[in-house]
Amino acid sequence: MSTLHVLSHSPFGDERLTSCLRILGNDDALLLSGDAAYALQPGTVPFTALSARRLSIYVLVEDAEARGIEVPDWACAIDYPAFVELSIHHDKVNSWL
Amino acid sequence: MAKSLLIISRQAPWSGPGAREALDIVLAGGAFDLPIGLLFLDDGVFQLAARQNAKALQQKDLSANLQALPMFGVEELFACGESIAQRGLDPHALALEEARVLASADITALIDRYDQVITL
Amino acid sequence: MNALTVGTRAIELDKDGFLVDLSDWSNDVASALAAAEDIELTAEHWEVLELLRSFYAEFQLSPATRPLIKYTALKLGPEKGNSLHLNRLFKGTPAKLAAKLAGLPKPTNCL
Repeated sequence: MSTLHVLSHSPFGDERLTSCLRILGNDDALLLSGDAAYALQPGTVPFTALSARRLSIYVLVEDAEARGIEVPDWACAIDYPAFVELSIHHDKVNSWL
Repeated sequence: MAKSLLIISRQAPWSGPGAREALDIVLAGGAFDLPIGLLFLDDGVFQLAARQNAKALQQKDLSANLQALPMFGVEELFACGESIAQRGLDPHALALEEARVLASADITALIDRYDQVITL
Repeated sequence: MNALTVGTRAIELDKDGFLVDLSDWSNDVASALAAAEDIELTAEHWEVLELLRSFYAEFQLSPATRPLIKYTALKLGPEKGNSLHLNRLFKGTPAKLAAKLAGLPKPTNCL
């Protein structure tokens, strides 16, 4: 069973990302949308936390571009059709509202 | 067979509608006989703090409402042990006796068991 | 305004016939609310109404049908805690109608 976890809040001053990483399963994936893309800001605690783990990490390309975030090689920039694909390929989607 | 649903409630009880909305989903699901579970995570565990007093803020008594969950057929009640520890709550004195305290790895397994998950 | 006359008092009701002020409730008010629904309250009705009031005192919410049945079975035994018995007493809509007669808010989860 795999879950796609979708985050959309900035990881700064918010514990969604931290908690999500804590309970993420080996087959799970993480999609960063909206302000959650700021987790890929280099030199930050969230960036380090994400890069330290071998995870499937995706980010919506326009959300990263809009925020001037360069996508590191350990994350995958995807568009909306790919987001839909990704959702289908997992057993369920957990959006951290 | 109806799909099973896990609600992850991670908002503090008195800060906004999040905690109440999560509970309403669970109660409605229970009334429809859905296989439903409820996990308290992050600030959501503050909903389980002892000695809360809704009257102080003239609000509906969420703690009392939570006690009704088993009556609504919701018996799968869980709380995140790490969130509880971080917030200085006593895991043996939670306001919901039926809630089982889980480690992070158990929560991963818990999410796997359900067909659908809603995190509020 | 919807109102119910009990003795010399006018009791305010909402559009669905529930008490606006829950503290208006009394045995006489319950009997008058029941009469408006063509129900004459018997001992069997009263024990359910009392049960509902204790449910509300304990949980601060009105039960939907399923929890009402479960709670009744727990407190009065399975021969009374079943949908047949409760439906017969309260015209097929026990959660809604019994809550009304017991002076509870309208159940939000009975849909």
